Amino acid sequence: MSPSTYTKPLPAISPENQPFWAGLRERRFQAPRCKNCGDFGWIPYVACRTCLSTDLEWVSLSGRATVYSYSIVHRGPGAFNDDVPYVLILAEMEERPRPMLVLAQLTDCPLPEVRIGLPVTVAYTDVDGEDVTLYSFIPDRDRDDETGH
Amino acid sequence: MSMGTTAAIVGVYTTQQGKRLGRTKLSLEIEAFKGALEDAGLPHSRVDGLSPLFAEPWSKTHMHWAEQLGGRPITYLGTGQGEGAVAKAAAAISAGSCQVAVLWVGHAGGGNSPGSKPRLDSAPRFPDFHWEIQGAYMTPLYALWAQRYMHEFGSSAEDLAQVAVIHRDHAVLNPESVMGPKGPITVEDVVSSRMIADPLHLLDCSIENDGGYAIVVASEAVARDCRRDPVWVLGGAEATATDVYATFDDPWFPEEGKAVRRCTDMAFEMAGVDRSEIDVANLYDCFTITMLRNLEEMGFCKLGEASDYVREGHTNLGGDMPCNTDGGLLSNSHNSNPSGMSVIEIVRQLRGDCGARQVPNAKIGVALGQGGSIHGLASTVILARD
Repeated sequence: MSPSTYTKPLPAISPENQPFWAGLRERRFQAPRCKNCGDFGWIPYVACRTCLSTDLEWVSLSGRATVYSYSIVHRGPGAFNDDVPYVLILAEMEERPRPMLVLAQLTDCPLPEVRIGLPVTVAYTDVDGEDVTLYSFIPDRDRDDETGH
Repeated sequence: MSMGTTAAIVGVYTTQQGKRLGRTKLSLEIEAFKGALEDAGLPHSRVDGLSPLFAEPWSKTHMHWAEQLGGRPITYLGTGQGEGAVAKAAAAISAGSCQVAVLWVGHAGGGNSPGSKPRLDSAPRFPDFHWEIQGAYMTPLYALWAQRYMHEFGSSAEDLAQVAVIHRDHAVLNPESVMGPKGPITVEDVVSSRMIADPLHLLDCSIENDGGYAIVVASEAVARDCRRDPVWVLGGAEATATDVYATFDDPWFPEEGKAVRRCTDMAFEMAGVDRSEIDVANLYDCFTITMLRNLEEMGFCKLGEASDYVREGHTNLGGDMPCNTDGGLLSNSHNSNPSGMSVIEIVRQLRGDCGARQVPNAKIGVALGQGGSIHGLASTVILARD
């Protein structure tokens, strides 16, 4: 493994969430689903927010989401300032019933096309020299055509 | 249940607030601590309750200050936002847990702004889903809230900007404010200031500075003998509904409200006061959007109507409920935990100490703290003079 050149914050992977991060390595975005009541939850918690059951399973999501809100960031903290302008979104995952809003960057999207309601899909980035894969979102061009935009 | 006259704020003090004061946290804390006790006319040996506003409920901080005060037993260990900490200290006093509680903050250096985050040689590790991994910080997080709010309710950048203009007007009348000396600003100044995180411009954001402050809460028996007239704690409560900027909600603007609504309703119920009776308010305005949402969640106007409410002039000095008369976090001071600054300004208004920014004959005031998440942790306190 080559030495890392990535200097932005990375996740300290907790034992509880290790399967999530391992899944990203394999291009799967998972969320915990309660085996007792069936509800999803994001971000992951050790017990279901609906029924407090700890009988949870990691389930691969479709990766399909919609932009719930966004901000085009013009001033970044630390090394992120090299990337401005970049786009932060709350991506609302397709799966229900409990809405899951994932905070992440939106990449590969021209700034004028960023909007609330934009269909997006999960993208994966292996961090050079680190044992971590990060998630972001990119426009879901197929679905954008489907909805007539 | 009204708290009535069981506990009062008897002393307040603010150190100089400024960009970088060249002071240490401890020096600001001890100045504030002694200043507030002197304002109350109480010796430090009377203190038996401690509520550092930066602390875990049980912490080394309480123990350090117990020793600093002479190594006597301290029998109330609190913390919280300024408003919630005042309410809890009042409740502790009413339960007989202590007689004189001090709440305080001292802040020197560092902060939440992007400029305060250093460039590093290697990647630091944060908890799994920390916002900083995504390149977020306070301004983009509140910008996400603002963007969705504007989308749902059709508000404009100018609607947000008017908040910054009003609070600066107030700061100009506050000789101790950080931004007052820079003079008034216009809506055009705000919307043409540098975009930080769309839709929030530089002047939509609170400032960031050093500074300290302290508040002394005492029982009625003690309060009657203090140097200044007591400012009674009529009611107060705190509420939290989510985690620290990790989980975000859909819907973000439910009609029934969330933590801010809950603690505000409770505070008004305890105080036995109607919203229409409030003479002066100081509501945590970390960003312009926060102020609009505060007014809605607290029930001073309807959901989605805060821009109109502000435009009608209610929150201006001279309006029927002047808000953030010190200039707020936008133009007075954001010293990392400025929640208690709002309490102090209400105390000063009720004492009639506010000079050019005095609300005439102010009798009842309300302060709101929020933060730790977007409206996810909140506290409200209602204060009144005799």
